[in-house]
Amino acid sequence: MKRHILILFLVSMFTTSLLADTLSLSFSHNATDNLFQNLYAESDQLSALGIYLDKNFSGFSLFTEGNYSYLYENTNLAYYTQDLGINTLYTVDEKSAFYFSLAGRGAFYQSDYSDFNYLSINFFGAFKSYLSQTSILKSNYTFEYKNYKSSVFDHISHHLMLSLDKYFQTKTTLKGEISWGYKNFLHPYLSEEPRGTETNSYSSRGKGRHNPYRDRQNQFIAQTQSQGQGIQVISLSGLIAQGLGSRVGLQLTGTRQWSLSGKNPFTYIEEFYAVENPSYDRFSWEGFRIGAQLSVLIPWNLQGKLRYTMDNKKFPGIYSLNLEGDSLGMLRNDERRQFEVNVEKNFSKFSVSVSYFYADNDSNDPLFNWDGHFFSAGIQWNTSFGERK
Amino acid sequence: MKRLSLRGWILFLFFTTLFSYGQKKEHFYNVDKEVTVKGSIKEIKMEPLYKNTSPFLIVILEEKKTKNTFNVEISPVWFFDHDFHQGESLVIRGSLYQSEDSAQNIIAREVQFSGQILLLRDKHGFPNWRGGKGQTRRKWRRKKDFS
Repeated sequence: MKRHILILFLVSMFTTSLLADTLSLSFSHNATDNLFQNLYAESDQLSALGIYLDKNFSGFSLFTEGNYSYLYENTNLAYYTQDLGINTLYTVDEKSAFYFSLAGRGAFYQSDYSDFNYLSINFFGAFKSYLSQTSILKSNYTFEYKNYKSSVFDHISHHLMLSLDKYFQTKTTLKGEISWGYKNFLHPYLSEEPRGTETNSYSSRGKGRHNPYRDRQNQFIAQTQSQGQGIQVISLSGLIAQGLGSRVGLQLTGTRQWSLSGKNPFTYIEEFYAVENPSYDRFSWEGFRIGAQLSVLIPWNLQGKLRYTMDNKKFPGIYSLNLEGDSLGMLRNDERRQFEVNVEKNFSKFSVSVSYFYADNDSNDPLFNWDGHFFSAGIQWNTSFGERK
Repeated sequence: MKRLSLRGWILFLFFTTLFSYGQKKEHFYNVDKEVTVKGSIKEIKMEPLYKNTSPFLIVILEEKKTKNTFNVEISPVWFFDHDFHQGESLVIRGSLYQSEDSAQNIIAREVQFSGQILLLRDKHGFPNWRGGKGQTRRKWRRKKDFS
C-alpha cells in the first residue's frame, strides 16, 4: 500500500512539475527534549520534507504544497499535509491592491493522532493601501472550515484584521493593529459524561511509560454543556521598529487579547511541538504578549535574529487540574518566556537555516509546568521554470 | 524487479524534467549588468510591468552618493512581512537597464534593509517569489505558527 502511495505521489509530482512555473523542496531536521510540552518531558526528533509548486496564468497563481513529517521515537505521530489553492492580485490604482486566495488542505496523521485528520477550506482576502508614502493601511479577512475525522473538532472560524502604520524620518515605524476572531465548534457536545476514549491517547500519555496522566487524558473531550456557543476574541497590538542602518533592525511588539464570548469546549487543552492542535490556537486564550526582536546582518550576509517573547495567557473554560486529574477550582493560567536565535544564509538556489528555541512555561496546572529546548536545521532548494523577466 | 524498474523510470523522468526546464527560457535579466546601489526610497508605486503577471511593486530609489534616481522593480505586489516606506534606506543588488525614456531601471535580485535580506531572484535572474498569502518562499513551519 505504502509503495503504491509513493508511486502515486511521484507520478503526480512529475505530472505537475511539467506544468509548474516554480518549485521548491525543503528538508528540516528538528530535535527537542520536550515533544509534548508538559511536565513529563520526552525527547524526540522530527524530520520534515516538503515540496511546493506553482503555476501562473492570466493573473492567477495555482499552487500546491505537500509536507511529510516523521518522528523518530513516536513514529505513530508521523503526518502528511497537502495544500492546493489559487490566488490572485488586483490593483485598484498605483497605491492600493487586493489579494485573494482560496485553498484547501488535507492533514493525515498516523494512528495516534488520527482523530486530528482533517480536510479544510480557507478563504483569505486582503487589502493594502498606501495612504501616503509613509503610511500603510492593511486589512484582511480569513474564513476557514475544518472537517475532522473526530467530528468533535469540526469548526468554522472568521478572522478580521485592520492595521495602520507610520514611518518617520528617524527610521522609526509605529504600527497599530486591531483584530477580531470568531470560532464555532459545530458539534462539540458529545455526551453528558466524560468520555473514556479508547481511540486516542494524545500527547500526555507519551509512550505510556509510568505516566500518572493516563486517566486524565480520557477527559480531553469531556466537558459537557447544554448548548453550543461561538468563541469570540478581540485583540489590540502595537509595534515599534527602529532601523539602525541597513544591517541592524530592532523591533518591540505587544498584544493584548480579550475573550468577548464563549469558551473552549474541552476539559483541558494541550499544544504539541510542530503539530497543529485544534484545541490550542489563537481563539483559546486571553491575556497579553510582549516581545523584542533584533535582526542583524553579520559577515557573509548571514541573517541573525534574536527574539525574546513573554506571554501571560488565561484559558477561558479550562480549569487547572492537579496531578490526579481533580479540578483545582481556578482557570488555567500560563506565563511563558521564550528565547529564540535563528541564523539563515541564502545562496543562489537554496537557503539554509539553523535555530535554537528555549521555552519556560509556568502554569497553575502542574502538568503544564515545563521547559524545553528545541533545535532546528533546515535547507530549502528553490528553482524556477518561468521566464526570467 | 519489475516494480523497481518502474520506480526508477519515474524517478528518472521526474528529475530529468526538473533539471532540464529553466534552461530554455528567454533571458531578460542581464547578469553582466549587475550593480549594487545604496540609497533611500523616494516613492513607491504598484504598476503592471509584464503581460500575464501580477502588478509589480516599484521603488524609486535615490542613490546616497550621487543623488541619481533608479526605478527598482522589486517583485509582484505580494504582501511582504515587511512594508517599504518613503525614506527607508535600502541596498539593492540587481540588473541595470535603460528604458526608452532614458530612465535608469534596476531589476532587483536582492534587497537589504534593517538587518534583513529579501532574496527576490537567483543569481541568473530567475524569480524567487511565490504565491500563497503573499510571501516570498515560506520557510519551514515553526511552532509559533499555530498560536
